[in-house]
Amino acid sequence: MGETNLTRADGRKAAFRKLLSTEFYLLLFLVAILVVMRVAAPGFYSMNVIMTVLNYFSYLLIAAIGMNLIILTSNIDVAAGAIISVVAIVIAFVGKTGAPIGVFMPVGMLTGFLLSLINGLFITRLKIPAIVATLATTQLFIGFLPLVVEGSIYDLPATFTWLSFKAKLFGFLPASVIFAAVITVGFMLFMRYSQFSKKIYAVGNNQHAATLSGINVNKVMVAAFMIAGPLYGIAGTIIATAGQRVTTTMANGFEFSIIAAVVLGGTSISGGSGRIIGTVLGALILSIISPAMNYIGLSSDWSDAVMGAIILLAVIVSSVSQLTKKKGTIAEVTT
Amino acid sequence: MKKPFKIDFNIALLIILVALIAVIGIRNPNFVHYNYVMAVVVKNIMELGMMALPMTLIVITGGIDLSVGSIMIFAAISGGLVSASHGEAAGVLVTIAIGLLCGLLNGFVVAKLKISALITTLATFFLFRGIARGITAGDSVYSYKFSTAMGNTEVGGAPLALFFYIACAVVFTLLLSKTALGRSLYAIGLNQDAARYSGLKVDSILIWIYVLSGVVCSLCAFFYLGRFTSVKYDVANSMNLTVVTIIVLGGTSILGGVGDMRGTIIATFIIAVLKSGLTVMNIPIDIQTIIQGIVLIISLIVYSILGERAKQKKILEVMRDGGPRLAEE
Repeated sequence: MGETNLTRADGRKAAFRKLLSTEFYLLLFLVAILVVMRVAAPGFYSMNVIMTVLNYFSYLLIAAIGMNLIILTSNIDVAAGAIISVVAIVIAFVGKTGAPIGVFMPVGMLTGFLLSLINGLFITRLKIPAIVATLATTQLFIGFLPLVVEGSIYDLPATFTWLSFKAKLFGFLPASVIFAAVITVGFMLFMRYSQFSKKIYAVGNNQHAATLSGINVNKVMVAAFMIAGPLYGIAGTIIATAGQRVTTTMANGFEFSIIAAVVLGGTSISGGSGRIIGTVLGALILSIISPAMNYIGLSSDWSDAVMGAIILLAVIVSSVSQLTKKKGTIAEVTT
Repeated sequence: MKKPFKIDFNIALLIILVALIAVIGIRNPNFVHYNYVMAVVVKNIMELGMMALPMTLIVITGGIDLSVGSIMIFAAISGGLVSASHGEAAGVLVTIAIGLLCGLLNGFVVAKLKISALITTLATFFLFRGIARGITAGDSVYSYKFSTAMGNTEVGGAPLALFFYIACAVVFTLLLSKTALGRSLYAIGLNQDAARYSGLKVDSILIWIYVLSGVVCSLCAFFYLGRFTSVKYDVANSMNLTVVTIIVLGGTSILGGVGDMRGTIIATFIIAVLKSGLTVMNIPIDIQTIIQGIVLIISLIVYSILGERAKQKKILEVMRDGGPRLAEE
């Protein structure tokens, strides 16, 4: 939506209206789940379950924030899972050499950055639609991995798993949650106040208009990929350090969950509209579903179906409300 | 002007295909042996090839169907379960009904609710696969007589699926190039609103092609279940992306409005030869994935250089005489 040229008061009003639409309903839905869980399965609120949910939530959210930026520029990244798999293997390599604790995260971020940069350049330089471009690089990344590693890297030292097992604030809060919180707040501020975020929305809304108003569209798109890459790297580091064995297919297919979190959060797949807070709620709902179902006695085998149904319902509800609001126009452009 | 240009694409693809077969055949003569070609090269690509046909129509309208693999597995699993409890005939009917209903759901959401095909089919990718997982509790489902026969019958050494594939390929090629419906698909892909205002029933056309896609997935479900005797919910996870690879390699633009069934068919066999040919040459499966990726990238680069021109020409054609004349190539 036209976040670029609204005055601040208008912006606040628009933001409030938006809050009432997607994010508000997501929040209601989330609260409903939590209340139901409180009543139906008090065991759900044990420290153990909460920490498991939070851990999955943090790395899903970190990756989803990166994906959100990419989707805002009206691109998409189906290589995210493959990139995270590569990150996991690269830092496992480093871990095997007995490298110190502080090395893994930067190496992961750098790996993510480089691979994502390749995607960004590929899309903008050759003018190839993002979905097929990243589909092609997915095959390269996934194909490359088993060439350097036979199946998995195992018996990783304690320095490697330190991040997931030992790094805890106040003795219980996993480091991953801290990372997610810092990154989320950082990006909320970034999206709210930085000049650059306005360009991201402008490019996603209307590429031609953005070009005409002096924005370098390609630069903005590549930048979105360059920001997403290190975020994938952080997510990959959290995923990899959760065990002493890192396999080459660790995060293959994870991109679907990441995209699902972003879409559930109300970000329009055609770009230009969507907020970080929505992505936070989307990721949280997706992380809670599977364990929640388990605790009310439904087999977790149904979690994929429920997840698919929720995403479908969410986009249908937001689309139908749009269709009724502005009858006769194409609703695809807005959320 | 346009004819040599258009033919060049498919001829280039054909040359690549022949060259691949020649290179692999010289390195390993067994590869070009009739039995090997039929039992390995052709048999392994049939489901993907069949799914690529209706999906080409969908991509030409500017859509995509990421749920194809999930529909196939959902249909196969439901059919297997029902045939075990209610008999063969019920299993067959349920398999077809599932594909039809899944396609109908996709089509309805895309056409009537105006939700992007990417999102819709991403959600139904989870939904259909998820239901398949739920009703089996993650266990395998076994083949039944009809499906086994479909998957393993051979006619003159060729798998039964090949004949279905040829029939489908002919029907879809004619549908796209000779019928008004085919032309309207291009119109929708180039500009959906313009197509609507010029009187095309865009919504029902879209619903139809998604239903077609679903039904073809049902057909594939028989072959797939028969071939592997048992299936689990997660065996077809990456099928959608391979089908997209085939279509893009075949020269259909993912942005819609440009595309050709012949390209898809040739690309199907290029992927088939790549997959099995490299196995014959003892090239590990991972390098095959890389090679497949590189082939896709090269074709993307070529198409991106030529694609802009093709699209402009296509628009001119539509403006000039109301439809692309692919039929005349």
